[in-house]
Amino acid sequence: MDDVIAQEIQRELEQHTILIYGKGTRTAPQCGFTVETMEFFDQLGYPYEVINVLEQPAKREALTKMTNWPTLPKVFINTQFYGDTDVLGPMRTKGELQPLLEQAFQTKA
Amino acid sequence: MLTPHTLTEYVRKVLADAQVTVTDRTGTMDHLNVRVVSDVFKGKTLLDRHRLVYQALDEPLKDGRLHALELTAETTDGS
Repeated sequence: MDDVIAQEIQRELEQHTILIYGKGTRTAPQCGFTVETMEFFDQLGYPYEVINVLEQPAKREALTKMTNWPTLPKVFINTQFYGDTDVLGPMRTKGELQPLLEQAFQTKA
Repeated sequence: MLTPHTLTEYVRKVLADAQVTVTDRTGTMDHLNVRVVSDVFKGKTLLDRHRLVYQALDEPLKDGRLHALELTAETTDGS
């Protein structure tokens, strides 16, 4: 993987506790699932950043390789990869997500 | 276009015992809700379960027959 892109991704992951790589931006999302993921975190009341990889094919490919996950959006919490709402939804139902988010935001504060 | 039958065959290449239920969310058979039940998932995290299904559906995802997928991946006892 191209080092410049890998370093850029690493920087972005460290900058944002919840990071959604998706299609479109926070103000102009271009995919239902990106919107769904934003709403998921809105409901939980946690801030997040959306990074549009539609116009950055090299970064999109690097992320796919790095996570072994072919689709978008891709969600990272505290630099760890968690897939998308298909994974985060059941985690929330099982009560695993809330403590994870609380702890993630505490280490940042 | 991808039929539920073809999709089930793809999944069964990786998860031989899979029970697959497909719901077409938009009528164009490329935005699907797919529920996969297989005991190969036992002991695997949700991420790895979904990775197995994505691996099985790699071809239709790459050639565009499949755009958006909402996945559920459970074992036969529903865990």
